Amino acid sequence: MPLVLSQRLVRLVGLAALALIGLLAQIAVAWAHASLISTDPRDGAVVAAAPSTYSLTFSEPVSPLSLKLVRPDGASTPLDRFEVKDRTVEIAAPADLAQGTHVLSWRVTSADGHPVGGSVVFSIGAATAVPLSTGEQIDWVVRAGVLSSKLALYLGLFVGIGGAFASRWLLGGVRTGRRAVAAALGVGLLGIFLSLGFQGLDALDERLTRINEFAVWSTAMATSLGRTAAIAIMGFTLAAAALLARGWTSRISSLAALLCVGAALSLSGHVATAEPQWLMRTAVFLHAIAIAYWVGALVPLGLALKRGDPAAAAALRRFSATIPYVVLVLVAAGVVLAVVQVREPGALVGTAYGNVLIVKLLLVAGLFLLAAFNRWHLTVPALAGGATATYRLIRSIAAETVIVLLILTVAACWRFTPPPRTLAAMAARPATEHIHTDRAMALIEVLPGRAGPVDISINILTGEYAALDAKEVTLVLSKPDSGIEPFRRAAVRDDETNWRIDQAALPLPGTWHVRVEILVSDFEKVRLDGEIGIEP
Amino acid sequence: MLKKLMTATAMIAVSATAAFAHASLETTEAPVGSAYKAVIRVPHGCEGKPTIAVRVQIPEGVIAAKPMPKPGWTVEKVKGPYEKSYDYHGTPTTEGVKEIVWKGGNLADDEYDEFVFRAFLTDSLPVGKLLHVPVVQECPDGAAERWIEIPAEGQSGDDLEYPAPAIRLLEKKSDH
Repeated sequence: MPLVLSQRLVRLVGLAALALIGLLAQIAVAWAHASLISTDPRDGAVVAAAPSTYSLTFSEPVSPLSLKLVRPDGASTPLDRFEVKDRTVEIAAPADLAQGTHVLSWRVTSADGHPVGGSVVFSIGAATAVPLSTGEQIDWVVRAGVLSSKLALYLGLFVGIGGAFASRWLLGGVRTGRRAVAAALGVGLLGIFLSLGFQGLDALDERLTRINEFAVWSTAMATSLGRTAAIAIMGFTLAAAALLARGWTSRISSLAALLCVGAALSLSGHVATAEPQWLMRTAVFLHAIAIAYWVGALVPLGLALKRGDPAAAAALRRFSATIPYVVLVLVAAGVVLAVVQVREPGALVGTAYGNVLIVKLLLVAGLFLLAAFNRWHLTVPALAGGATATYRLIRSIAAETVIVLLILTVAACWRFTPPPRTLAAMAARPATEHIHTDRAMALIEVLPGRAGPVDISINILTGEYAALDAKEVTLVLSKPDSGIEPFRRAAVRDDETNWRIDQAALPLPGTWHVRVEILVSDFEKVRLDGEIGIEP
Repeated sequence: MLKKLMTATAMIAVSATAAFAHASLETTEAPVGSAYKAVIRVPHGCEGKPTIAVRVQIPEGVIAAKPMPKPGWTVEKVKGPYEKSYDYHGTPTTEGVKEIVWKGGNLADDEYDEFVFRAFLTDSLPVGKLLHVPVVQECPDGAAERWIEIPAEGQSGDDLEYPAPAIRLLEKKSDH
């Protein structure tokens, strides 16, 4: 009996406790959190030297749950050494801090038992600007394929088509060098097919084993290289026809092929995206035709001289009479291209694109020296019938051809180096996020869209796209996957609908959680939640 | 069981102190169709600064609001039209106080005070739901604490940093 009684009592007390908990759940609406009053370093501060301690002062006594420091490289260090003095948490700072933006991410609990968190963002020296990197894995097989197929294409265009043109217009249609030119055309044709295949692999970021897949080729055709391929194939066909035909038909055909060289190259490559397009495309067109004229003449001319072809002397005369004008066009067009793509002299040294250009210019300078020597020292004696001079001229033309091949190889490397112009554009590309709800919508733009110091602009409208006269706009940023608790940045009004936050720091790349808090009136606040991707 | 009881007791103790951190209403339940005495408890200033004004928005459906004067503070009653006409003890009422402001005082961050008004909860208010009463504390230099956040569907006031004080609306008393 006493046992039963005690069991009943236990049940009764249990019920009472449950009822109490239920009652408490009602009251819980009024539960509260400690709020952060001040910090050292201040949130958003740029300090000259790494502080030796950090402090967080709250509105009421707290006990820390988690304190950590997220470094500029994203590594997170737990801050274990801290002391709670009344409402202030004093934290010993790690000694080995680098320059850049750090985040002191905190989570504390106060008397109410409700954990709250936040972040203090501060920079040592200056806000971190992460160097630009593509960060992609390079497939060297595909890359070598892209490079060699591109070189083969150049050979076909310049040596093949240019050679066909030279043999028809300079050498008067002699058969000498026809086989070499035809071979170059074949190499070019192979090159354009391989170029398409590797372009497709590169565009899809696939391995060589997938080259037989239709998707790879259709992707390549859809890029600007597709148009280049179509025109190049047309040029190769016209040049081959010119080699087979005779008289004026063959001349017209080889001239048309030469124009195809200019058209093919001006339709793709970095230049296809540069402004002003009319200027850039014209420059490439002229640059390519001039190269084809010069380079194309070397092989047939050298071979004709070597074999003592009677047409050689006349051809050499025509070539040396025309080449100064061609070189003028070549150089002028080249200068225009370099100026637009490189933008400023510093980029020559500072970027891969600029480095490639320097190497190319050195080779071109060597080529010009050799060519000048040929023209002013060897051509006249050779024309006069000097055997030694002719022999030396042949040797020199062969050397010129080798240098030209090197230049073409170097130029093919540009395929992998974005010009400073596009690097600058990449750096300036904003990250955006559009949040739309019934109450309001916000377009958030982070510029540049990369980790480091950023300017943020927020465009605010009502849900029906009307102007929203907000009293205050605040952005709350957090990055839970890196352990960065939310921190707030108040926006200042730009005009009726635009707000901005200057010099905020987003220390890490990745997905950031953004919350826009819009104070519509004294008593009404709208919250918009979204996510924004920040590039490295 | 003893353990449970102890937990419950501990929770009472915790909630008693916790309620001081948010601006809140003393009475959190009230029947519709009756008068309600609102006691707004202001627990602290704006991040260390003293409170120099307290503003309360009278929600739609709450009429005939009358602030209780407070020594050291001037009371301002912002009047305006209601969205519709309400029956107030047989009198159709279309306008009245929509905002009450106590200002000119100085309530230090480490002090506590209460601000009182009385109003009539019309029976047009939804029984069983929460009625939110937004409160704004103003401090020097443009600082403010805005207890104006209203939980969205599926959210509770607990999820918010600055929840508006709320009253649970009860069934109208029939013996009236």
